Amino acid sequence: MYRIQRAALAVGTTALVLALTACQGSAVNQAAGESPKGDGGLSEIVIGALHPLTGANAADGQQMANAAQLAAEAVNAAGGIKSLGGAKLKVESADTQGSPETGQSEATRLIEDGAVALVGTFQSGTSANVASVAERNAVPFVMDVSSLDEILEQGYTYSFRLQPNASLMGKQGAQRLVELAEDSGTPVRKVAFLYEMGNYGEAVYKGFMEEAEAAGLAVDPVIGYDAAAVSDLTTQVQQVAASDADVLAVAGYYRDSLLAAQAVGLVKPDVTAVFGVADGAFDQDTFVTDAPDGGEGYFDVNYRWDATNPATVELAGLYEERYGEAIRTSAVLTYDAIMLLADALEAAGSTESAALRDAIRGSSYQPLVVSAGPVSFDPAGENTNAGAVVTQVLDGQVRQVFPKDVAEVAYRFPAPSVGGE
Amino acid sequence: MPERAKVALATIGAIAAAALAAWWSSGSSVVLTQALVTGFLTGGIYSLVAMGLTLIYGVLHIINFANGALVALGLYLTLQCVGYLGIHPYVALALVMPAMFLFGAVVQAVLLNPVMRAPIQIQLLVTIGLALAIENGLLLVFGPNPKAVALPGNRGIQVLGATIELSRVYAFVGALALVGVFALLLQRTRMGTEIRAVAANPEGARLVGINTKGIYVVTFALGATAAGAAAVLVSPFTTIEPTAGAMFNLTAFVVVVLGGMGNVPGALVGGLVVGLTEQLAGLIMPSQSPLLAVFVVFIVVLFLRPRGVFGSSA
Repeated sequence: MYRIQRAALAVGTTALVLALTACQGSAVNQAAGESPKGDGGLSEIVIGALHPLTGANAADGQQMANAAQLAAEAVNAAGGIKSLGGAKLKVESADTQGSPETGQSEATRLIEDGAVALVGTFQSGTSANVASVAERNAVPFVMDVSSLDEILEQGYTYSFRLQPNASLMGKQGAQRLVELAEDSGTPVRKVAFLYEMGNYGEAVYKGFMEEAEAAGLAVDPVIGYDAAAVSDLTTQVQQVAASDADVLAVAGYYRDSLLAAQAVGLVKPDVTAVFGVADGAFDQDTFVTDAPDGGEGYFDVNYRWDATNPATVELAGLYEERYGEAIRTSAVLTYDAIMLLADALEAAGSTESAALRDAIRGSSYQPLVVSAGPVSFDPAGENTNAGAVVTQVLDGQVRQVFPKDVAEVAYRFPAPSVGGE
Repeated sequence: MPERAKVALATIGAIAAAALAAWWSSGSSVVLTQALVTGFLTGGIYSLVAMGLTLIYGVLHIINFANGALVALGLYLTLQCVGYLGIHPYVALALVMPAMFLFGAVVQAVLLNPVMRAPIQIQLLVTIGLALAIENGLLLVFGPNPKAVALPGNRGIQVLGATIELSRVYAFVGALALVGVFALLLQRTRMGTEIRAVAANPEGARLVGINTKGIYVVTFALGATAAGAAAVLVSPFTTIEPTAGAMFNLTAFVVVVLGGMGNVPGALVGGLVVGLTEQLAGLIMPSQSPLLAVFVVFIVVLFLRPRGVFGSSA
């Protein structure tokens, strides 16, 4: 018992030390009621970009930081912000380490260093903290990726979100599935739903379920798992196989979704399709190399960089040339966020925070991700034209397949090689 | 011994009751069989990862927060062996284990030996620092994108209606073999006797002429070797990224405490208990995180047997 007490004491002390370290510098400068502004001979406008450059989400975070630089370069090469005398954009990248506390302290630091706006952060928990810092300091914050609905339910006036929120993606997931089933003449009556139990998975699942049930689809069985701890999903997929579900829907992060795909390859449940709903893996190029049978036939409904838009394709080419890997949608959203800010700065003709905020709110920027139209923010700061598109892995490539106006190739439903063959 | 038999019987009884509840809850015998088989196999993997942790705690009384990072390092070494040298993942054991032994020895000799007499939180902070250094070093060298190792001939096999992957069976067998090797090493060799002597009474061991600092080095090195072996065995079904070991960290600590800190065979039992608890709880309480059940079991065991299921020093 003594040893355990000693160990508990040590763990406690360490946690305390770490917490104190993390708190250092996270105190928001309460006096900073107004944001630092450029004035007079403004030659450089600083934008803070907060992303997880280290930690479990570094793959996305580093791409997003790269994309922010590319966007600033593009703006500067075209002459900078003309209404501000050709002032150049300077993106200051900060590493959130995927931790809300670090994100918060880094946001504070960037604002103190003169950032007139912030973009980020990939993780909802971090974005929630950064949004509160942005609000207190009256500095506009444009979220590129962060799905949690609640972030913008606080009555904030300086925070905006480009991507569709989690419940909207769940809802659009169900809508697209119903449309696909109808379009292909493949009946879908019952959907098994496998999701990670965190904020994101749960919100996606709830949005999906409400919409699916309204459309007369049964959602059963519903199986949750802990994304941080799970190392095998065979039992869960076996539960799906034991049910008479027609489709397996999955809402997870990359690693756990890959586990789901491995379990599907092993158990071979008799379903007509595996259908990702805002899934973190099924629309990634690496999924094709990592999944059994190349993930052939896997669907995903997600926000996505638009492969049918020449401007997006050009950016994708530029990114691959510069950084040697395919661009991810998260990075395209960061690019969009910086471009949107550049547009707003141009329209405002000022870096004054309220003017900039109003210009963002009135923006009609046409994004490079698939969208129902130009960016249009509602009073809460949600992009009402944000949308999701259906992708499918076909012949070893992730392709946009539905709705048909943004389809690169025709979809295959029932999907090949997922089911009991 | 009868005490242990009673504990074993109670454990088996509790698992049987949980299995019955899971069967009733899922309504399918195939699903239950799958849960049991998967629970057993993942449990074996948990104990594999926890082995090094328990060994290091048992002798050095260091809670090694770098265990997960050591597994990640082992995963990348495996990846290099398979990718660059083109050898079979399991043949990589012959290279990864000695490399990890060496690494562990250097860590203990250079970083930890100087602070062995310092308060316990100092060693703890050193291992946390080491974990950060390893993870960020891997990030710097290999980049953030997840990678994978393919096992030639890996496929699913049917066991009583359940489907399991061969690679997971191999990892389980590997875990058993490793427990055997470590138990033999500790019980039957001169070095093992010295390790046990240092674990039981470092002052006494020094007085009879045992080089305690040397034993510390060997023990940490063995712990790192176990982490490396675990890494090779789990590499075919794990996504390899700098933080890949982190997911095992928490479970490994639970396994170690359940099995009795410092008890190598106990780590095996602890792993199996955690693996089965997770799987069965997933069926009985589908809307709760399986970790909840694991922690309930953990607290109950600590309450009944504060030194773990088979708690006694190695």
